[in-house]
Parts: sequence; structure tokens; C-alpha cells
Amino acid sequence: MSLSQRARDAMGRLVRASGFERFLISASALLLSVLIGAVIVLGAGRMTSCGTAAYTLAFPGSFVTQFTGGDAIFAMGFCYDPIALYDLLFLGALGDILNDPTNGQFATTIAETTILLFTGVAVAVAFRAGIFNIGAQGQLVMGALVTGVVLVSVAPPLSGLGVFAAVVLLPLGLVLGAVAGGVYGAVPGALKAYADANEVITTIMLNFVATSIALFFVSREQFFKDPESFANQTVNLPDAAMFPELVFRARDDVSLLALGFGVAVLVGVWYLLRHTSFGYDLRTSGLQPDAAEYGGVDADRTIVSSMALSGALAGIGGAVYVMMVLGNFQPGVPSYGFDGITVSILAGNNPLGVGFAALLFGILKSGSIVVQVGSDVPPALVGVLRGLIILFVAMPEFFRMAGRKFGSFHQTGEQPVATDGGTGGGVDE
Amino acid sequence: MSSADYVPSASDVRALPERAYDRLFAGRGRVQQGVIAITLAAVLALVAFGVFAPESTAGRLFAVLTASSTLAATLRLSVPIAFAALGGIFAEKSGVINIGLEGLLIIAAFTGIYATDITGSVWYGLAGGVVASTLLAGLFAVVCIEFRADQIIAGLAVWLIALGLAPFLSSVIYGGKNTASVATFPTLADMGIPVISDGVTAPLPLVGTAPVDIPFFGALFDAGPPVYLMFAAVALSWYALNRTAFGRWVKASGENPKALDTAGVNVHRVRYVAVLLSGVLAGVGGAALALGIGQFTGNGPTMVNGKGFIAIVAYLFGNYNPVGALASTMLFAGLDATQLTLQARDVFNVPTELVRTIPYITVIVVLALFGRTRLPSAAGDHYESGEDE
Repeated sequence: MSLSQRARDAMGRLVRASGFERFLISASALLLSVLIGAVIVLGAGRMTSCGTAAYTLAFPGSFVTQFTGGDAIFAMGFCYDPIALYDLLFLGALGDILNDPTNGQFATTIAETTILLFTGVAVAVAFRAGIFNIGAQGQLVMGALVTGVVLVSVAPPLSGLGVFAAVVLLPLGLVLGAVAGGVYGAVPGALKAYADANEVITTIMLNFVATSIALFFVSREQFFKDPESFANQTVNLPDAAMFPELVFRARDDVSLLALGFGVAVLVGVWYLLRHTSFGYDLRTSGLQPDAAEYGGVDADRTIVSSMALSGALAGIGGAVYVMMVLGNFQPGVPSYGFDGITVSILAGNNPLGVGFAALLFGILKSGSIVVQVGSDVPPALVGVLRGLIILFVAMPEFFRMAGRKFGSFHQTGEQPVATDGGTGGGVDE
Repeated sequence: MSSADYVPSASDVRALPERAYDRLFAGRGRVQQGVIAITLAAVLALVAFGVFAPESTAGRLFAVLTASSTLAATLRLSVPIAFAALGGIFAEKSGVINIGLEGLLIIAAFTGIYATDITGSVWYGLAGGVVASTLLAGLFAVVCIEFRADQIIAGLAVWLIALGLAPFLSSVIYGGKNTASVATFPTLADMGIPVISDGVTAPLPLVGTAPVDIPFFGALFDAGPPVYLMFAAVALSWYALNRTAFGRWVKASGENPKALDTAGVNVHRVRYVAVLLSGVLAGVGGAALALGIGQFTGNGPTMVNGKGFIAIVAYLFGNYNPVGALASTMLFAGLDATQLTLQARDVFNVPTELVRTIPYITVIVVLALFGRTRLPSAAGDHYESGEDE
């Protein structure tokens, strides 16, 4: 057996291992999305008008023509340069990280990542139980709303107590967010368990309802609107109710404490799913609902409790958003919940993988601000990438076919990796 | 009363309420019966207040409900939901759950405006919307049928792609998430079609008023072309599903694909056609939605605002029957129209933010109470013909 043959075999074995295949699929999906995103950017660059082309496709290219002289036979100008765009998007999000690790842009990236940790793991928990929680957005809004309005009335009397106030207020805010999000997540769970109502539809409808409820309470002065502000928002929270920034500057609205808490939650959820009987019930309900029920799992109760847990995690994300970024509550919350779906799917619904996927999306979200400032390309492009990534991760068969065509890994008796956590799963299986 | 012992007789008149009772209450659970009874009682009470006490609160609500503008708005708001629901019926009957209808509506709404802006004709705009939506549906079909993607996740991806792409393109072309304003569809009376436009504006011989001036129902004669297209599409879809070979194939493809395969019909091809058809129908709905207003607004959930998901509930509630789907669509759209009129007239001084949630909450309640419909047995499953590979 030649060396290359042996290497190929080893590669084939690696690919067949579901965890590594998972990673390959996610990475290929990401790459393919970025490529198609570039094509869309080029296409969009043809639809708009500009003085000089930012990017030119030519044959032969300028690399050849600079030696041979003359012009390209074929040349097409585009208003947007996809390479410069991705440079801004991915590297811009890090800022000048080598010289100044606490620069503002990188701080934004960390802040976005922190919140996506919570929505990502929220969606992942539900997926593992075989439930599509599209309502992480609504649960996050409810968590943020309740945290904001309760802390506004509770915090001021306590804020004179210094460190003690923070020790009381921060956990209180997190608990409030968890309870509000958990209740708001348990509702569609109960509707699914006891009334057979499809959770995809109910959670999406509840997203709309949550937005309206939030607007209702903070646009009226008899409720929680700040009477001195023209905008619809609550009064600002005292500093004692805010996450301490630790290393970063105060105005960057980021906290390493919150990030650390997020990572601890990921590990906690991983442990819960992997090493407790509740986690075992939850996973078997997702994999084989009939078998789980036969084995004595109360399917209805598992659905409600996993949706409550999922909602609570998203709600904590909302609480962190209020206590780390906003400092009060404002309606018009960014789409952390929908990004959480992508984060979870990209991570193969593995709580530990969520950490990496959240960082990637934190970079994308933060980078889109850099793109908005530094180029003419609309930052809404990130929304397109979000959809494309989900689409490609959802079709592992495409990459397997491509792999069979170009590579020579012969897969026998393969077990399709389902995206919904139905079969297969991450390395922790 | 079963059909076997039913003898047509002079008691037919008396049997009518009995049959209505059977239809509404027989074979339903306690909760459903209770909700239906309460709804009926509420409707009767509302009518009574409207007739006998028009100055009371309920009477004024009745006036809002029966305003001609309410029916007009209901019809207008029904169009995108009904078309998307028809598309969803075809796709799901064939075994592909198309949860991406919302995305199809969004992309069609934007493209409808863009194509109208370029060509100057709303009809070309409508065609453009249909093309865009069908292409996206084609992508969805390939991903689900060829690459065996999970249908729910692929559908979500279609929605999220459109949710990102439409505002992105709008920003590229129009410099903002909202497009420029373009022409809208004229109403039937304004279209200047020789016989018809004159017919609805000329006084009727017996009644003495023109059809467009008839209270409440006048709106039926003065709607835009999409509304009439909607009624035609519902009738055609019903016919196609229940009276043609294609309809039988679609049903078999969702219920028992193996049997269809054995009969020599290509299951994949039937599913492709059904999903593409859902793209065409949703495309008409989305383009009509935007062209009814003359602008695409792309902030937040865009102007489509969940209509694609409401459409799914509409056809589930209508038990996959196009006529039933239209009826439940009119219910949801009617609630939306009522809340719009309530906001506009400010009759009861109700908080607009909460009134706006009524259609969404109704959708949840309806889904919870009546959502136990039987899915086509192979829906959501990938089918692999034995001859492949």
C-alpha cells in the first residue's frame, strides 16, 4: 500500500466519522456561501452605477497585460469589489487587534458574539429535542423587556450599595430574563405537546406578538416610557445594574464577565445534554420519539421543558443585551434570534460548537458595520449569507456527492447526518 | 344523519339547520364545540347590536365590520395569503412541505416593484415577480428533491435568503430598504375594459344603483385584477387537484409515492412541478401585494410581515382544500382589515400595538384548536426511486 493510498484511506475514515464530516460540511457550506455571496455582490455591482469600476474582471488580466502591453480582450467592470468587501467584513471586525487588543471594533465583535452564544445554544437545545424553535427572537425580546422594566424600578434604591448592588442586581436581571424567556418559550412548547400545534408557525407568530407587546409597554408614559426622551425607551439603568467592562473601555458596551458567563453556560448545557438523565431523555426524544416514549420518557413534558429551557437561554441573552449593550430597554432589537438559528445549524447543534459559530457570526455582524462605513455595499449582505449558510448546511448530500465525484473516499453504509439533530450529531455523541 | 338513510323529502327545509349543526358540531371535541358555540353567539349578538342599537359600542364595531372599505381591504389583504396558501397546498400534497412561502412572497414583492419600475407596466412587474419566486422555488426544489435536504430547514433558508436579499437589492438599486414608488393596479371600474368597466359603474335596471355603490358587497365589483385572479386561481386549483390526472398524481406523490412510481409516473418530476407551481402562485401573491401599494418596504420583517406563515395555517385550517383555504384566508385577512379600520378610525381608543397582534394570536388559537389536520403521509420524507443509482 503506497503512502498516498494510506493517507487517502485515513482521510476517508476521518470523513466517515460523523463529527469530522459535520465540520467539513459546515466549513464547505461557509466557503460556498462566501463564494456565492461574492457572485451576488458582483451582480449587484452591475445593477448600480458608479464613476469608476471598483473591481474589473478581465481576460487576460492586468497581471499579464502589464508585461505584454495592450488591453484585455475582454473586460467587465463592477461597482463593488468582493475581495475588498470580505477583507472589511472579516478582518475589519477584528480592528487593529495586534497593536490594540481592546479596540472598539473588536469589542463590538465580542459583544455580538456574547449574545449570539445564548441564542445559538437556545436554538441548539430545542433542535436536539427535535423541536424547531424559530422563536428565540421573541423569547429574547421578552427577556430583555422584563429585565429592563423590572431593574429600572428595583435598581435605583440599591445602587448606593456599591459592589453589593451589582452582586444582587446582575443575577437578578439574568433570572428575570430567564423566567420571562422561559415562560414565553414554554407556551409554544405546551401548544405543541398538548394541542399538536406546529411549533414553527406558533413561534414565528409569537415573535410578532413579542415585538408589539414590547412596543406597547415602552411607548406609553403610564407604563415604562422614559418621559424625558423622545424615543420609545425606558429610563437608563444605574451603573450597578450593568455588567462591568473589566479590560475593555466603558463606552464599548462589552464585558468579559458576560462572555465568560456565556461560555460557562455553553459548557453547562453541554454537560446537561451529555451527562444527565434529563439530557438523555431530551436527546432520545429528538432522535427517536417513539423509542423514547417506549422507554418511559414523558414526551409531552419533555417538549415543554426543553422549550422552556430553550426560551430561558434566549431570555438570558436578552437580559445580557440590556445589561451589557443597551443600558435600558428599546424596541427594535436586532435579529439575534434568527442569527441564533444559523449559529446553531452551523455548529451541528452541538453546544460547544456554538461557541465557534457564534464567534464567526459575531465577526460577520460586527464586520457589517465596518462594511457600512467603509464601502458602498449595503450591509444587508450579511442577511443573505445567513440564509445561504443554512441552505448549504441543510444539504449534506450535495457535499457528499461532490466529495464522491472529486475525491475517492468510498463511503459504505453511510449514516446521513441530519441537520435537525435527528440523527448523527456532534462529536459529543 | 348519514347519507344512506337520507331520503329527500318536503322536510328538506327543516333539515338545513340540522345539517349546518352536523357540520359545525358533530364529531368535534368539547373545546372545539365550545369555541364554535361562543363564536356563533358572539356573531349573532354583534349583528343584533348592529341592527337594534347602532350607537352602542358593539353596534359601532358592527358598523366597522360591515363598512364597504372593510370588505375591500379584506379582499386586498387576502390576495397574497390566498395565493401562497394555494401554492402551499400543491407542494405539501405532493410531499414537500414548503415552509419558505414567506420568502417566495418577499422576493416576488421586491422583484414585482423592480420589474414594474424598469418596464413601466404593472403586468410585466407581476410577471417579473412570478419569475423570481419560481426561480427561488426551483432552488428549494433541487435542494429538497435532489440533495435530500431537510425540508423544514431548507424552507427556513429560503425565507432567510429572501429576507436578506430583497432589502440588499433594494439598497443597491434604490439606496434604501424601501424602493421607489411605482404605478399600482387600477380597479375594475378604472380599467376601461369596454363592457365590464361600464357594467359595474352603470346603474342596475331593478335596483337603481351601480354595482360598485351597493353597500358592503360593492367592493366585490370594484377590486383590482389580483382579487379576480385570486378567485380564478382558487377555482382552477380546486379543479386541478380534484378532477385531473395531475391532481391525482400530486396526491399520490404525497400519500403513497411508491404506488405512483409503480404506476410508471416519475415521483420526482411530479414533486418538481408541484413545488415550481407553488413558486408561481406565491409569486403572483407577492407581486400583487407590493403592486397593490406601489412600493416595497424592506425594514424588519419586510412588508410581507408573516403572511407566508399565515398562509400555511390558512391551508391547514382549510384542510388542504383550496376553497377552505380561501375561506380561512378571508377570516385572517378580515381580522387584519378590521384592525386596520379600527386603527384608522380610532373608534374605541384601543392601543394600536395590541390590536395589531389580533391576527397573529388568532392564527395561534386556530392552529391549536383546529390544527390537528392529517398531513399527507409521505410529507417531509425524501423519496428515492428503486431505479435510481
